[in-house]
Amino acid sequence: MTSLARLGCYAAIAVVLGGVSASGDDFLIQTAIGVAISAILALSWDILSRTGQVSLGQSAFFGIGAYGSGLLTPKLGVVLGWGCGLALCAVAAALLGLVTLRLRRLYFTIATLSFGLSMQVLIIVTPGLTGGSTGITPPVLMGGKPSMQLLLIAGLLIGAAIVSDIFLTARFRPAFFMIRSNPPLAAASGVPVVQTKIMAFAVSGVIAGVAGACYAGLYGYVIPEDVFTPNWNVLPLAICILGGMDTTLGPILGALLLRVLEEVARHFIGGAGYQVVYGGVIILFIVLAPKGLIGLLAQARRRHGAPR
Amino acid sequence: MIWASVAQAVLLSLTVAGLYAAIAAGLTLTVGVTRIINFAHGEFVMLGAFLTYALFKEYGVSPLIGMLISGVAIALLSAVTYRTFLARVLKQDEHNQLLATLGLSILILNIAIILWSPDPRVMHAPQLIPALKFAGLTVPGNNLLVAGIGGLLFLMMQYVLRHTRYGVQMRFASDDPELATHAGINVDAIFELSFVIGGFAAGVAGGLVALVLYVHPAVGLDLVIRAFAIIALGGLGNIPGALIGAAILALAEGMTSTFIPNGGSFGFGVAFLLLLIVLIIRPSGLFGKPSEA
Repeated sequence: MTSLARLGCYAAIAVVLGGVSASGDDFLIQTAIGVAISAILALSWDILSRTGQVSLGQSAFFGIGAYGSGLLTPKLGVVLGWGCGLALCAVAAALLGLVTLRLRRLYFTIATLSFGLSMQVLIIVTPGLTGGSTGITPPVLMGGKPSMQLLLIAGLLIGAAIVSDIFLTARFRPAFFMIRSNPPLAAASGVPVVQTKIMAFAVSGVIAGVAGACYAGLYGYVIPEDVFTPNWNVLPLAICILGGMDTTLGPILGALLLRVLEEVARHFIGGAGYQVVYGGVIILFIVLAPKGLIGLLAQARRRHGAPR
Repeated sequence: MIWASVAQAVLLSLTVAGLYAAIAAGLTLTVGVTRIINFAHGEFVMLGAFLTYALFKEYGVSPLIGMLISGVAIALLSAVTYRTFLARVLKQDEHNQLLATLGLSILILNIAIILWSPDPRVMHAPQLIPALKFAGLTVPGNNLLVAGIGGLLFLMMQYVLRHTRYGVQMRFASDDPELATHAGINVDAIFELSFVIGGFAAGVAGGLVALVLYVHPAVGLDLVIRAFAIIALGGLGNIPGALIGAAILALAEGMTSTFIPNGGSFGFGVAFLLLLIVLIIRPSGLFGKPSEA
């Protein structure tokens, strides 16, 4: 994508979310907040997956971000509290990246999945430090005004999009994709495979942590099941496949469309089992349109432009 | 009587190991042969558990017969899944294969939640064989049965893979699909067969789950995570390795839940730590060939 198109994309996000914030409609604002948080989390998953690391442990960093910022903000203030919370995410992610470095795909995914599930146990067995199963009460963001919260989260989403785009520039893109398709070739071509994989992990962990910290600051009350639920592992996956992996716009469009599908499913099915749309979306798109919505759009544009 | 409680915990853990081994053996057969990382194996186990449960509750079918019916039903379902879905996925890269079976797993799990609600239920099966009592220790009859049938399934997998014509073809097709095709082996049919056998094991294992555990839609995910940890311990495609891995995991879980306060909630943590330690020391599992990592 050209830099002009990228700027237009960021501006579009700002205008749409800013417009929703200004509209004052509660339902719209809450929906937009949900979509934006999901999109940030999905971008974090996508950045990691570009190096071939299919993670099912994003909930761990989502939760560490929520708990880290929630517990440290009252002690250190907002800026330092978030900073330290996110630094914690980076360290945890880099460590997980280090120990899972040599694992092939299947083992990698299982290791990240069980890491995410273990984190919840860690919170529950350390009530003195983390409040245990009763949860914590992080300070609410922006004085609890949803319209202002949306503006903040929109800003963070644009930040995440910029980071994602930086990793899609010629400086990083070839290295990331070569690590995914052929690690020995990447190493032979002079790509620092280990450093790149761990850096991708740390960046992904921080961005997932941002999403978690936003989530924790929405209502000022968080229990372990809220932030460590496997839902946060599966959601980014479904979003990215729906929207289009290895892009920035894909996860954002995917978050929006999946939210719509989810609302429809909730309407017909009710609270439990609405995730059936995640499974359906993943299967349909992997088999029929592995490049997601972005791929379909590009195809349509090519076909449309062909006669000329 | 500290040694009695230790011995009791060890015995019960070993019966659970039989269940884990049955699930892991089916999974390692299909994954080892087709190289498709089938996340939905756990959901097949869960469907088998629900079928055995329903047959017993609605029609009073003995769980022993029920688990056989489940095995056959899940084997058929595996064949259908392979033909309609997995065979297509096989042509895509590994990244997408993993995502596709994950999607299948999420789909089946949530359909089960919609159909049967997420609540756990208990079958309350009668003890099918008498309990084993000796030296002040008791092993309930159904636990014995689970260990026995789990072991039998495990032996069956081993027999098929090592001592039948199909087993030879499976190993050939897995090692070099192209050469196997030239040698006149129908690789596609062999892959399907490995799914059918793995599905049968999953269905019967589901019946075992219904006998001794709660039956609920998420039970498959719980078990498949453990099964993958076991496979990693034992090495991919290594069926005896799966047995030893199952024993190690079941013992580690049994010991933590017996001797650490609140240790019962550590379940996944134990599996995760074991997995990590082993994979850091030996990335291809305790008994895996290095090239199969």
